[in-house]
Amino acid sequence: MASVTVPTTAPAAPTDRTIRRVRPIPQPRNNFERAMWLFMRFSGLALLFLALSHFWMQHIIIGTHAITVGDTALRWGISGNPVTLEQVIWRVYYAAILILAVGHGINGVRQVAYDYFGHRPGVYKGLMTVVVAVAGLIALGGIAALIVGAASLSATAAR
Amino acid sequence: MFTPLTTAFGEGMRYKAKGNILWLLHRISGLGIVLFLGFHIFGMSMSAFNPPLHEQMLDLYKTPLFSLGELALAALLVFHAVNGTRIAILELRPHLWEKQEVATRYSLIIVGVLLVPTLVIMAAKSLSHYLTYGFK
Repeated sequence: MASVTVPTTAPAAPTDRTIRRVRPIPQPRNNFERAMWLFMRFSGLALLFLALSHFWMQHIIIGTHAITVGDTALRWGISGNPVTLEQVIWRVYYAAILILAVGHGINGVRQVAYDYFGHRPGVYKGLMTVVVAVAGLIALGGIAALIVGAASLSATAAR
Repeated sequence: MFTPLTTAFGEGMRYKAKGNILWLLHRISGLGIVLFLGFHIFGMSMSAFNPPLHEQMLDLYKTPLFSLGELALAALLVFHAVNGTRIAILELRPHLWEKQEVATRYSLIIVGVLLVPTLVIMAAKSLSHYLTYGFK
């Protein structure tokens, strides 16, 4: 038969020595993760308005089948031509969406990748290197396109 | 290689079914949006660097397959936006943690209110285009 051992004496009262050994646990200060946590909240809040307004503008107000290459040229301006204030506002709007969405997306992918491959640092780091490199190149191309504007329409017509 | 994935999805569904389905949907919708985002930014940047390719992409958006895909994209986007807002608000308001189920119900109602008209209008626009000009 199994016997249960019942302690007959109370545990020793803490002495000065044991009390002194209890130090506050040093709080980990991972400022990168803290910054990314905050960034996900603020970029998400901004994208709630920016991304949904963009989506509803293109799909409900204009409609996918009514979108032409001329719309892009009208909003972003044509490279080589002077830029109007309206086009500057469009460029800032799209640049904000691009930067916030790409940042939000990369960090989301990082969190998912860490969940599934975090225990394999090689796979995790390799995956994230590829993701960041590809996303960085795509975002760089998008920003460059917003800065120079659409190619001239004559070049488009001559295809 | 994929054991952690299958374990995460399999065990994830067993653990606290309701909350985890939203967690899983948030993850899947985010990954879906990020895939389209990369493709979309690349295609739009081609308006400056490769206009014919840019026009090909706009033509691709007007195919029936993409008309279905954009309905899915609308659903992913609206769900991710509303559910993300719910997560952010609840994380910042600990006294609301007892009301997770109420918050979930409200957020799903908001998703429905925003999504149903969006899908109806988008589907109507696409259908009227295809009925007028035919499927090409």
